[in-house]
Order: sequence, then structure tokens, then C-alpha cells
Amino acid sequence: MRIGTLKESYVADAALFDSRTQHVWLAIGAAALCLFPFLANDYWLYLACLVAINVASSAGLNILTGYTGLVSLGQAAFMGLGAYTVAILQLRWGTPLALNLLAAGVVAMLGGIVVGVPSLRVKGLYLAIVTIAATFIAHFLFANFDFTGGTTGLSMRPARVFGTDLDTSFRLYWLIVPVTVLMLFGAANLFRTRIGRAFIAIRDRDISAEVLGIALLRYKLLSFGLSSFYAGVAGGLFAYFFRVITPESFPLSMSIFFLAAIIVGGMGSTLGSILGAAFMTMVPELLKLIFDLLPGGADLTVFLAPVRLVIFGLLIIVFLVFEPLGLAEMWRRTRRFFHLWPFRN
Amino acid sequence: MEHKQISTRRRSLMLGAAASGVAALTQPLSVLAQGADEIVIGGSIPMTGVFAFAGVGINDGIQDYVKIINDAGGIKGRKVKYVPEDTAYKVDVSVAAFKKITSQNKVNVYYGDSTGFAKTINPELERNGNILMAGASFASELNDPKKYPHQFLVGPDYTEMFGILLKHIAKEKPGAKVAFVYSDSEFGRDPIEKSEAAAKQLGLSVAIKIMTAAGSVDVSGEVIKLRRAKPDYTIFHGYILAPIPEFITQGKQQGMTTKWMGTFWTMDSSTVMKMGPDGDGFMGVMPYRYYYDTEPAPMLEKIRAMRPEYQSTAYTQGMLAAMLFLESVKRCLDAGKPLTGDAMKAALNSIKDYDTGGLIGVPISIPGNSIPVGRVYQADMKAQKMVAVSDWIKL
Repeated sequence: MRIGTLKESYVADAALFDSRTQHVWLAIGAAALCLFPFLANDYWLYLACLVAINVASSAGLNILTGYTGLVSLGQAAFMGLGAYTVAILQLRWGTPLALNLLAAGVVAMLGGIVVGVPSLRVKGLYLAIVTIAATFIAHFLFANFDFTGGTTGLSMRPARVFGTDLDTSFRLYWLIVPVTVLMLFGAANLFRTRIGRAFIAIRDRDISAEVLGIALLRYKLLSFGLSSFYAGVAGGLFAYFFRVITPESFPLSMSIFFLAAIIVGGMGSTLGSILGAAFMTMVPELLKLIFDLLPGGADLTVFLAPVRLVIFGLLIIVFLVFEPLGLAEMWRRTRRFFHLWPFRN
Repeated sequence: MEHKQISTRRRSLMLGAAASGVAALTQPLSVLAQGADEIVIGGSIPMTGVFAFAGVGINDGIQDYVKIINDAGGIKGRKVKYVPEDTAYKVDVSVAAFKKITSQNKVNVYYGDSTGFAKTINPELERNGNILMAGASFASELNDPKKYPHQFLVGPDYTEMFGILLKHIAKEKPGAKVAFVYSDSEFGRDPIEKSEAAAKQLGLSVAIKIMTAAGSVDVSGEVIKLRRAKPDYTIFHGYILAPIPEFITQGKQQGMTTKWMGTFWTMDSSTVMKMGPDGDGFMGVMPYRYYYDTEPAPMLEKIRAMRPEYQSTAYTQGMLAAMLFLESVKRCLDAGKPLTGDAMKAALNSIKDYDTGGLIGVPISIPGNSIPVGRVYQADMKAQKMVAVSDWIKL
């Protein structure tokens, strides 16, 4: 039983993982991630990769919306910028994977900074509308230039690492999941730094933050840039994963998906990004599997397909009504319960 | 006390969710029972989402043909199993469905729901090597046996649909002026460039090309441009319904005498009838016979006996896909060949002058990836039916 943690220094207080228990669970989690590809079939590996890509992008959006308080509906556009950057670099110059992913992040970051400029003047719904514009501008750019393949889009060769084509979900898993884990550690660490704390200060009260000496425009643009960098890298992974990208691969609904993911998962929480993206990606599939247990075959599939969507929608509503702080808060509550068990009061 | 009640509810909710998750996770780990000699049709079918209007019909069509074959004893004694999954017309969900179905079954043939899916899954099909695929897409890009060796289209591609319409126009009114109105999407832009060249070859002139947002509502500016161009024929493409009725209504109000035309996904009887009285005379290309056609067609009679109510052309498309899938399988089995993607595609390409039981009005051949045949039908709003106004046109 663990009833508390004693911290004797500021360093200990600011540590990312502050107890032995957390280290043990972290090791178990890492081992599970390493073992998973050897146990799961192609379907589960595919879903794991998809969840990881969505987690990476959600983590980026959480930096912007959850931690800095700036609403964005442009995440899909930035993912698109990343995906097209990777595809164009690979197809035109055959540049290596690591460079392509980095370039994807940088190009999306530059896009994000440009879109973020109005964030000093507008907030909330107004800013959301500004960022929606990014989606339409990006769609126009993707659909109307030869080098982006126009409406047909671009088809890529598989990513190649040390002479091996990453052409199966199993192989791609070893690219996508480690990159996502690195990005998550980056996001978690960010909020132990001066920059991350400035973001939180801006979220809590931007005028007070300015009074404290935080340069609002610089930090807001930095937040947009970091968030878009994450989206760009996630878009790059998306491009390597699907190997076909078209302007229609990055619709507005995708941005709404990520916004919903961080709301359901928990705003201002790295764990929330993971849980929210996993929930939004996996629950429709899990509902399918549960419904598959019912007898009836193809006839029932037609009947149950819309029912499944309704249940998914209801689940989101129920979760948010009972836990508006998201799944991350539910997880915290569960942890707290076991910390105190059996002496709960 | 109140706090305690909420906590209990929260815990129950979490436990319920966890139990559901565990139940779902354990299920796919079990290998589902499958007869060793079963022929399996997998399907990424859009039963929800923007394409659900067609997906449900496609699903019924495939399912009914499988029933017909199984009731007749299967293919060389082997039963056919159909395994569909809803995709909501989303590529990532569709790929997940493919992975799930192929992980749990030894799939021989597969129905895909979109161009995006067909393109995305193509490398996987090549790697797998044992699946033949067709689907709801008529994208011209897929009509390339070298790039898509294990796929085919269940009808003419979009450029060929335009070709059929232009051929009809050139015959009906040589030297006519044609307008292309299409959506700003991959679907909409697909046939435009090649069809402009085809029109010139047939001695037709393309008076104007107008691109609009898919499903746009306010098209008054575009209608004015169209009226100024004075086309004899206006071909819409890349839409299901909107904004076609708006174009027609405003065009007629402004005295336009152009003949309005559409392509496959607009041309289902129920879709055209939604255009109302202004849609009278709306024409378009249809590769299949309509459910209520009166010309002799044994397969249509079977369908009408099974399903007394109207069945959409999406249903016919699904049924024809299943028919061609299973014909390819049958030809492979007859020749003692293994059911590989290459062998099934070669068997498909060996189809010459094949009788579809009247689903298509003439015997068909599939030398490449498409079936380049169709017919021009016209809406008769009084009779609430589509009426043939041309013979079957082969390209």
C-alpha cells in the first residue's frame, strides 16, 4: 500500500516520475509495448499504429488547447502539411525517413506559426474559426498544384530503414510507436520547463501572464508551432502508414476528431491525449467486436451499424456528463482509490 | 451521501466499460470457425455515413447473390461465405475492416467502398497475392491493369461513362456544344481532362467547364455562366444529387434548353425522382438495367421474386460484383488453378460475351479492369421511371 510520496527537493518535486511504483509500471508498459507486436494479429497491429498516430497528433493539440487555452480546428491541416512534405521529399529526392519526418514537423510548425498570428487578437470561438480557415487553405494547396498530385494525391513507396521496407503493420509499429512515445515524453517534459509553465499561465489568465513578464505573442506562437510540429510529424507517420495521401485525407472532421479526443481524454493532460485518442479510435472498433458476438451475420450488420454509432455518441455524452474532466481524471480517481484502499474515507 | 452515490455510479460505469473492453479484446483472438473449402467474400461496406444510401443496397446485392449460389449448391460444392463490415465511408475504418476480416478469414475476393480505399489497400493486395478486389469506385485511375493488377471496376470507369454519353450526343446531335459541371473533388475532376479531348475527337465542342463545391447550394452565379455558354447538353459529374436540381430549376427558369445529364451515382431511379417535376427528361449513363425494366432478364426476375420492392442500382452493382467474383473463382476451380489474385484476375479477363442474366443488357467482356458498356436512360416523371433512350453503347 502506498499512502504518499515524500519529496525532499525541488528536483524531486519536478520529477516526471516520482515513485518506484511509477517506474515499475513504466517498465511494465514498455515491455508490453515491445511484446505486443509478437502477440497481436495484423488487425490489432494496424489499430495500434493508428492509435499511436492519433495520440501523437492529440498530444500536440493538447499543448495548444489543453495547456495554452487556444482552441484550434486546424490540426488536420497541419497533419496534411506534414504528410505532403514527407511524400514530396520521398518521391522527389528520396531523402531518408528521419529527415523527412523532421522536415514534416518543421513545415507544419511554420504553417502553425502563420495561422497562430491572429491568436494575440482573437480567442475562443473566434480563434477556432481562424484555424478552420487553415483547413480550407491547406485543401486548396493540396488539390491545385502538380507537385502535390492534385486531387489524385500522391502514392508513396514504403519507408525504408537499413535496407528494410516498412510495408507491414508489424514493421511500421517499430517506427510509429517509438516516435509517438518520444513525442509523449517530450510533451510531458515540456510542462516541467519555463516554456510549459508560461503556456499554463497564459491559459489560466493571459493578462496576468503578461503582467508577470510572459511575452504573449511569442509564447502563443511557440505553442502553435509546437502543436503543429506534433501534427506534422503525426502527418508524416500517417503518410508512411497509408502510403496514399489525397487532399481528402485531411478533412475538417479530422480536426474535430482530435478536439473531441482531448476533451474526452482530458484537457491539459498528456495522459488525456493518450486515453482520448485511444478511446475515439478504439471504441467504435470495440463496439463492432461486441456486436459481432451477436448472431445474425450480414443482415444484422446493416441494422446494427447505425446503432453502433449512436452508442458511441452516447458513450461520449455519458463520460462527459459523469466526468467532465475526461478519462484522465477517471484514471486519477482510480489510482487514488487504490492508493487509499482499504482505508478510503 | 450524495457524493457516495455518484462515486458508485462512476465505478459501475468504469467496471462496465472495462468488462466490455475485455470481452471485445478476447473475442478476435479466437480463430473463427471457417470451413476449409469455403469461398470467402470480404466487404468494406459503407452502411453508415455519406455513402450509406448506396452501401445498404450493395450489401443486399452481394448477400442475395451469395444466397442464390449457396441455394444452388455453391461453387463446385464449395459454399460461399460473405463477411461484411461497416466502414462509414472512411478510409482508415475501411482498412481496419480489411485487416480484421482478412485476419479472421481466408478471404478470396473483397469488395471495397471507395477510391481512397482501393488506392490505399492496393500495396497490401499485392503483398497478400491471394485476393481479387472490386468495389464502389469507378475511378479512371483504377482502370490500369499494370498499376492495379488485382482489382477491377464493376462497370465503365468515369471517363468511359463520359465517353458513352458523348457518343450518344454525337449520334443524336452532331457538332453539339457540351458543358461539363463537376465537383471540386477527386471524384468530380476524374474524367474532365480526357473527356474534353474525347469530345473534340467526336466533333463536339466543350462550351464551358464549371467546377463547384460538392453539394453546394447557391449556384446562381454558375447558372448564369452556363446560360451564357448556351450548351446543347450539360453533363454533371462528381455529385449524387445537390446541386443538380438547383442548376436545372434555375436553368429552366432562365429559359435554357440544354439537355441535362448525369453519371452512375446520380442515376439511381430514386435519386433522379427526387429532382421533382423539373427533373423530367433528365438523362444519364447507366451500365445496368433498372429493377423495373421490362426487357427479358432472368436475373432481374429472380431479384423481383426475392425482393418485391424497388431495388437500387447500387444493389445491382453489388450483385454484379459478387457474380463476377464468383465467376472468376469458378473458372479457376474448373481449370484446377489455385485461388490466387493472379489466377482469379486472369480468369476474370477470360470472360468474353458473358451473360449477366440481364443485369447488363448485352453480353460482356472484361479484357482489362473495366466493363466499358452502358446505356442512356431518361427520366419520365409521370411514370416515375427511367426509360431507355439508346441502345447499349460499347466503347
